[in-house]
Amino acid sequence: MTAKSHAARGGDTVVLKPKFSTVFAATLALIFAVLMVAAVLLGHTGGSGGRTVVTVRLWDEQVAAAYRQSFEEFSREHPDIEVRVNVVAYKSYFDTLRTDVAGGGADDVFWLSNAYFAGYADNGRLLDIGQTLGPGTARAWDRSVVTQFTRNGVLWGVPQLTDAGIAVYFNADLLDQAGIGLEELLRLRWSPGNGDTLRGLLARLTVDADGNPAGTPGFDPGRIRQWGYNAANDLQGIYLDYIGSAGGAFQDGDRFAFDNAAAQQAFQYLVGLINDDHVAPPASDTNDNGDFSRNQFLSGRMALFQSGTYNLAAIADQARFRWGVAMLPAGPTGRVSVTNGIAAAGNSATAHPDAVREVLAWMGSPQGNRYLGVSGTAVPAVIAAQPAYFSYWAARGVDVTPFFKVLDGPHIPAPGGPGFAAGYQAFKPIFDEMFLGRRSVADSLAAAQSAANAAAER
Amino acid sequence: MTSPSRTMSNAAVYLGLAVGAVITLVPFGLGLLTSFTSARQFNTESPLSLPSPPTLANYTGLADAGFGRALVVTALMTAVILLGQLVFSVLAAYAFARLEFPGRDALFWVYVATLMVPATVTVVPLYLMMAETGLRNTFWALVLPFMFGSPYAIFLLREYFRTIPNDLIRAARVDGASTLDVIVHVVLPASRPILVTLGLITVVTQWNNFMWPLVITSGSQWRVVTVATAGLQSRYDGQWTLVMAATTVAIVPLIVAFVALGRHIVSSIVVTGLK
Repeated sequence: MTAKSHAARGGDTVVLKPKFSTVFAATLALIFAVLMVAAVLLGHTGGSGGRTVVTVRLWDEQVAAAYRQSFEEFSREHPDIEVRVNVVAYKSYFDTLRTDVAGGGADDVFWLSNAYFAGYADNGRLLDIGQTLGPGTARAWDRSVVTQFTRNGVLWGVPQLTDAGIAVYFNADLLDQAGIGLEELLRLRWSPGNGDTLRGLLARLTVDADGNPAGTPGFDPGRIRQWGYNAANDLQGIYLDYIGSAGGAFQDGDRFAFDNAAAQQAFQYLVGLINDDHVAPPASDTNDNGDFSRNQFLSGRMALFQSGTYNLAAIADQARFRWGVAMLPAGPTGRVSVTNGIAAAGNSATAHPDAVREVLAWMGSPQGNRYLGVSGTAVPAVIAAQPAYFSYWAARGVDVTPFFKVLDGPHIPAPGGPGFAAGYQAFKPIFDEMFLGRRSVADSLAAAQSAANAAAER
Repeated sequence: MTSPSRTMSNAAVYLGLAVGAVITLVPFGLGLLTSFTSARQFNTESPLSLPSPPTLANYTGLADAGFGRALVVTALMTAVILLGQLVFSVLAAYAFARLEFPGRDALFWVYVATLMVPATVTVVPLYLMMAETGLRNTFWALVLPFMFGSPYAIFLLREYFRTIPNDLIRAARVDGASTLDVIVHVVLPASRPILVTLGLITVVTQWNNFMWPLVITSGSQWRVVTVATAGLQSRYDGQWTLVMAATTVAIVPLIVAFVALGRHIVSSIVVTGLK
């Protein structure tokens, strides 16, 4: 019925009644409008009050909380600048960063790790820190992190955190049960030939369900209830350090170069620990589960867990046994550890270069950087800010010096280069097979290096 | 009286169904139990251990991680896309089913052919479009690519509309109904089951959408539940107890919707089956 006919039938009274379909369409439009208003309200972030807003992107929620406190102090000293922290999950961090930088929508400052910064630096996406903050500023920062983020003689990020070196967490209760003293732990040595003490000690610490240590008659490798060690396909925690301790190399500049005799020895040793000695969990458990070994250690089923400071907080909070930290085993050429760092890079396309310079200077200062160490979750890369970290762990009765003492000696460089991510995706499946024992070490390294370099060059 | 062989055959069928049900439901049950397990217990005991004691810490941890906002964003995004898709798909499907215009069928099949194009192919051009128009990391970027109908919905509705007797539509036209009147008064009431089915499919698809929201948004402002769930895992910790709490919370609205509207899906299958 139309409004017109209704009006006609109404006689003197003209009543305009809208058609049902009109009402229906209007209702849909109203619902849509309400949803849009809700979306606008949800997107309202509050004005900046005339201040310059600088955005900082990172992937760690705990460190982000520390940064917010740091930037509150910064804003008190720089009332014309507001700093907003943007946390993006690590899993998608570098994928979304790449698209955002390419699309011109990246934050003014963003975290980078050594493995991923080279491409941005080579393509002019980052600020030259020496030019931005002055050439002498780097002296206040951790030397290893400065070196990691220096490319072609230019420093491309303000060091924020360092992982320090790799050490061995030990379960003191299990060591006592096996009659192993701390001194024995501290003299551990691995060697493909004579002079090895690690394998024997690990065999004493690996026990099957019937209580038989590894290597003894009756030991059943299919029913192990306690592992000695976490040998695994773990780049930072395990095999880089073994390669370095064997005198080998992982990369030569930006090219993958791990197919060398010393690295072969290192990998052969590790694969032997897993598949021949059975003192470490099978690669089928550890290849795709980065938490497996740590959780075995936390549940008291692993005596020695070689890892970095990034697992310290979890172990301190969750271990239900007496534990400590010792230096990692020495290899044929001594104790060599990798060290990794994180830097805050300035976006060269930022719309606020002056404000970004102020923020970067703050982040690289002891006052700004110390907040990252006070809760003990991360080691500040500004040297003068590091005591906060040591104080925290000293107060909790944890000696963290093994993570740092190992860096007094030679290091093996953390891997990187513009093709690292692609190369890693190419060689990891081959390494998985190698650690599973399905492919020989020599074949695997040759194939993996070739595949990695080919992928990196694409 | 049932013969022994029929009894055996029924027993075998039910056994097979029971095994399938267990395989399907056990992961959900395990996830639910894990969501009430403390991180410490999960990391130090068997993942199959019952929570001892059960804890709500993972759910409060979700609130601290901003998961509530992700839920609101996802609900709003899904509602807008649902409304837009239903409206525009109905209009387009009616045009393809009942209106006569040159090239109608060719246009329809070209449109349906886009179903064959994988979503990953259009991600890059869509991203560039959003970036160029300054819509990156906005609510509009989440909804615009999806709210103007979908080939699947239009295909399904068009086929359904063609089964509506033409006499009904002609009768409405004789009464003076416009095209919009026909759609509202004749087509939509007759299409309730298929509309509910499509609505449910749209809700589930958009609620579970991961790749596009991941690419087009960053940070916590416009993060959806799928991206927020993935983001709960840090670089060195899987945080599985938190993730299980998140997936439990994320799945509840879908289960509620399915339980409430499930009979309409069944009736749409029955109707199309009889046809």
